[in-house]
Amino acid sequence: MRLLPKEVDSLWTLFTAPVVWAGHFLICYVSVAIFCAKPGLLSFEFGSLRLGIALVTGATLVAITLSALLAWRQWGFGAHDPPHDDPTRHDRILFQGFATLLLSGLSFVAVVMTALPAMFMTECLR
Amino acid sequence: MLVGCQGVQSALDPAGAEARAISTLFVAMVLTGGAVWLGVASILWFAMRQGRAVVAEQSASRLIFWGGAVFPSVTLITLLGYAFWLMPSLRPFATASEAALRIEVTGRQYWWQVAYHRSGPPILAANEIRLPVGSRIEFSLKSDDVIHSFWIPSLGGKMDMIPGRANRLSLLADKPGVFRGACAEYCGSSHALMALTAVVMEPAAFDAWLMTEAKASINAGGEGGALFVHHGCGSCHRVAGTEASGTLGPDLSHLGSRQMLAAGIIANTEDNIARFIAAPDAIKPGANMPAFSMLPQEDIRAIAVWLKRLE
Amino acid sequence: MIRPSDRLQDDEGDAQAARLRKVWANPGGWRYWTSVNNTQIGLWYAATAFIFLLFAGVLALIMRAQLAVPGNDLISADFYSQAFTLHGTVMMFLFAVPIFEAVAIFLLPPMLGARELPFPRLGAFGFWSFLLGGIFVCGSIFFDAAPSSGWFMYPPLATDENLSGIGADIWLLGLSFIEVASIAAAVELIVGIMKCRAPGMRINLMPLFAWYLLIVAGMILFAFPPLIAGDILFELQRMFDWPFFDPARGGDPLLWQHLFWIFGHPEVYIIFLPSIALMAMIVPTFAQRPIVGYSWIVLAAVGTGFLSFGLWVHHMFATGLPQISLAFFSAASEAVAIPTAVQIFVFIATMLAGRVIPSTPMLFGMGGIIIFVIGGLTGVMVAVAPFDWQAHDTYFIVAHLHYVLIGGMLFPVIAGIYYYYPLIDAKHLSDRLGRIAFWLMFAGFNVSFFPMHLTGLLGMPRRVFTYPDDVGWNGLNLISTLGAFVFAAGISLVVLDVLRPKHRQRRGEQNPWNAGTLEWISEPKENWGVRSIPFVASRYPLWDQPALARQIGEGRWYLPDAEEGRREGLVTSVLDARPEQVLRVGGTSYVTIISALSLGAVFVALTFKWWIATMVAATVCFCAIVYWLWTGTAEIPEKAEKEVGVGLTLPLYTSGPPSVGWWAMFITMVGDSTAFASLVFGYFFYWTIHDDFTAGVIGPGMKWPLLSAALFVAAWLMVLMARHLNGRGSIILTRAVLAVGVVLAVVASTAGFAGPWQYGMDPRAHVYAAIVWLLTAWTLVHAATGAVMLAYCLARHFAGRLTKDHDMDIGNVALYWHFMAITAVVTFIVIGLFPEVL
Repeated sequence: MRLLPKEVDSLWTLFTAPVVWAGHFLICYVSVAIFCAKPGLLSFEFGSLRLGIALVTGATLVAITLSALLAWRQWGFGAHDPPHDDPTRHDRILFQGFATLLLSGLSFVAVVMTALPAMFMTECLR
Repeated sequence: MLVGCQGVQSALDPAGAEARAISTLFVAMVLTGGAVWLGVASILWFAMRQGRAVVAEQSASRLIFWGGAVFPSVTLITLLGYAFWLMPSLRPFATASEAALRIEVTGRQYWWQVAYHRSGPPILAANEIRLPVGSRIEFSLKSDDVIHSFWIPSLGGKMDMIPGRANRLSLLADKPGVFRGACAEYCGSSHALMALTAVVMEPAAFDAWLMTEAKASINAGGEGGALFVHHGCGSCHRVAGTEASGTLGPDLSHLGSRQMLAAGIIANTEDNIARFIAAPDAIKPGANMPAFSMLPQEDIRAIAVWLKRLE
Repeated sequence: MIRPSDRLQDDEGDAQAARLRKVWANPGGWRYWTSVNNTQIGLWYAATAFIFLLFAGVLALIMRAQLAVPGNDLISADFYSQAFTLHGTVMMFLFAVPIFEAVAIFLLPPMLGARELPFPRLGAFGFWSFLLGGIFVCGSIFFDAAPSSGWFMYPPLATDENLSGIGADIWLLGLSFIEVASIAAAVELIVGIMKCRAPGMRINLMPLFAWYLLIVAGMILFAFPPLIAGDILFELQRMFDWPFFDPARGGDPLLWQHLFWIFGHPEVYIIFLPSIALMAMIVPTFAQRPIVGYSWIVLAAVGTGFLSFGLWVHHMFATGLPQISLAFFSAASEAVAIPTAVQIFVFIATMLAGRVIPSTPMLFGMGGIIIFVIGGLTGVMVAVAPFDWQAHDTYFIVAHLHYVLIGGMLFPVIAGIYYYYPLIDAKHLSDRLGRIAFWLMFAGFNVSFFPMHLTGLLGMPRRVFTYPDDVGWNGLNLISTLGAFVFAAGISLVVLDVLRPKHRQRRGEQNPWNAGTLEWISEPKENWGVRSIPFVASRYPLWDQPALARQIGEGRWYLPDAEEGRREGLVTSVLDARPEQVLRVGGTSYVTIISALSLGAVFVALTFKWWIATMVAATVCFCAIVYWLWTGTAEIPEKAEKEVGVGLTLPLYTSGPPSVGWWAMFITMVGDSTAFASLVFGYFFYWTIHDDFTAGVIGPGMKWPLLSAALFVAAWLMVLMARHLNGRGSIILTRAVLAVGVVLAVVASTAGFAGPWQYGMDPRAHVYAAIVWLLTAWTLVHAATGAVMLAYCLARHFAGRLTKDHDMDIGNVALYWHFMAITAVVTFIVIGLFPEVL
């Protein structure tokens, strides 16, 4: 078993981290919306919901870190400096790795920001 | 605050807890934002004017990292933390707590129906809201026609009035005075002409006022009242102590004691009342009240005089 | 390293050029307007968008004049409402989005070293749709029938016939029509950028403009469909009284706000990113060095693209949603400031690491950024929910949004005009006039809009036609009005500069600014885009490959000729731009105009509820589109392969994922699925707001929906089998299975219809019935389209245009049916099993 999965040569890997951010965002928004709109439906406390958000956030950050690790490897662990503008497959891959790494960083910060409200808010105030 | 920020409708001249906290937040953000803008603008200016390469590519990249990514991330996370800490304390009314006084305000095109709920039957009024200073008042905000938004900048932020939903807002006035509020959501052609007066009073004065408001005006009888009922005004308007009991239009039981007329638009004078009766559309385009210009001039005058005396 | 062919003899080269010129020539006389060439379409598009800008600008001036003094009666309350509604609508839908489409259509092919975008006729169709829709929407104000409910069209104000009149229908249908055109443009741009780059232009060498446009086109695909879904709900309520937004019958006005702003906020970035993309082309040229932080720009574009979809509720901070929900959106709204800051610092870094040459485009660009940063910072402020409770719907927001849009969009666009004007006729705009215009605009703008921050915080709400004279807003408003006229003077000067005759000016050289990217070798007098399609080996080929421009001009690279008299371009692979195919694109044609006209007629007739005219127009439109597809797509070439020069031979026909048609279908269906997802969101939204969402209405049952879903899956399997059989060459079986597929689609649709029908669900009675009917109808309309596609394949098969080796049609239809099957299964499982079973 390998620590990091095999490299995939695709444009779509670039979008991994933001897609993970979007998933996390949706989970937070939808779970809170349903919890607050239909008080009777979910039989747990707001505190449990916050805990749930914390757990999902943890898992999300792990996923983004994994994406960042993959990207870092694709970028040759930072052995090559940008701009990665040679007309070679190698440089194209380095560019993708670096851009993916940056996007993972942004997504990481965005997930932290999205999770902040659950730290401060303790009920369905309107 | 600066002189230019004062006013009866100014969010920067606070007279309530929420408005005060937001105004402080604003000042903090303006100072930080101003500094950021100055920084960015000067570095741009410098970069535009230098005419030679000042830094190597490596350090330029580092500038992007620190200036474009790290600095905003740290600043914004700090700001968000502060904002999220602030929010629940600004509008703290949780589900259980029942405020001593609840004011139900219903937005209508283009006026406000007001009902004070304390113990006993609700006390009806329109277009003017009075509050006691120093206690947190709960507002129930509704609408019967289109979306309106209830906003008294001096006291706090706004809250929409949405048909089919009952929104809540709580305001804590901390300074007596007369303030102006307005409808903040576009609600039709006379959206601009949908304001309200908010009078913040000392608790004792407020209680006394509410007692008077609960009873019919001592001037409710008389010829003007008879004409009012005779010409059918009562099918839309209510005047306590008379047969007029309509609910489509504003409650006029104590019209004379209000500061403004036609939802905070014109001064409350006999002339203006008469003008409004004769041609509401001229003062408020799209108003639902039909024009009564076909009534004899002297009847309009008599009704206006009578209404002005309803204190 | 790939080397160009040897230089041809002069006469041989001239003969090649003559053939190429003839193939790409525009028709003469009035038939000029049937041209589909990207240069013409781009220019028409841009000119039209600018005329709409001026129109909306005049409306703004009228409004500012009205607000100059308190209690003014220059215009009526009703006209004011029409004016601000149209101002916002026109600026957003008829200027800001179209101008980016225009610039993209004009610039992208030469920038990518391509001759054309992959679907030139689709581009032309988009332009004519835009023109018609725009005239329809704008013209309404001359009949006092313009929409007057605000550009956001909130129900119940806008759903009430008495309060909004026909204007609301004009808005909904006119703009739906334009949205269709925008989505068409998005499809074209995505396929163009992914598949039609010059050989060698790997994704790490792509001009940044293309990166931005790729992201923006993707955003359109996810942002516009929710609005179209909202438009459908809205128009069904207005036309047939289905109560989607009527609380008395279970509806909710807030659903519209969600759908509108899921579109509305990404829209802001859809407008902003292309303008920043222009800056990303201009800054390196005037810093005379490659951009610093190419990858950072990609991060910024992609990051903004994603984050912008998590902001929509910040337009709804005062609607009474739970505070924690507001907080999530507050967080995302702040997060999006990070990629935006990155973009600005990339420009700063590039300028610091280069030698900046002062110029008018840079002046406009940097002036714009200075303004934009203020808008961005006030954006950070209003994203904080408590502050927005005060600022929302006041002049503070008016100031904020104009700082963002004028600084972030209009100034860069004007910078782009000054920068790219030489590409239009090899002449320059006046530097002096440009500078004067800039300072007028810059000063006028700030004088007009800066005071509005204060006006708003002093309590002045937006969208008011008048204000009292004793609240303290008089002086600020007067200053704003004066500034607005100064700003307008600046814009007029730009218009004057563009329009003034330039006969006496000598035609300048190519590439006057010494830019590094390929668009600067396109010759304004030639229609072919590039004389030959180059092999690109750099981000800034004109700087790093000095001989390239000459080699291209001498026709020494790919496709220098047009022996068969066809318009041809290259299709390359997504990541590394390896040449894959020669693509023959459609030429001059009436069919685009007829399709656009008839589709426009459908929308106009619907507005006025002329049902027969609607049917007639729809029939014409259907026939025109089928004719267009039949004659213009999946054409079987006269030979399998073609020599394209430089020792390369490429196929003339491909199908499946390597082909552009497959990509176009895929992308279109992604957009379509987004609209569908929005409707499903609506279904569950109604479930959340009610204790009993069905309100006692007996639903469509389980039997019919599940049967229908199963039948649709069977029909889908038939399509797959037909594709497989066709690939094996079984002619009769292919036809038989296609026919069975059509029949199954019809039977499945009937079963789907039977559910709500048998239970007598009345869509006017309650929103539950309405949304069940709507999801069913959505699926049935798609099934009908799918059945027509199968019938089309059958006909093509009989006509010998769909064969074993030329199977593009069936490949694309199968792709459609994948989405069709998902739509049907989701619809019928949702309405059949939820909420009963779950």
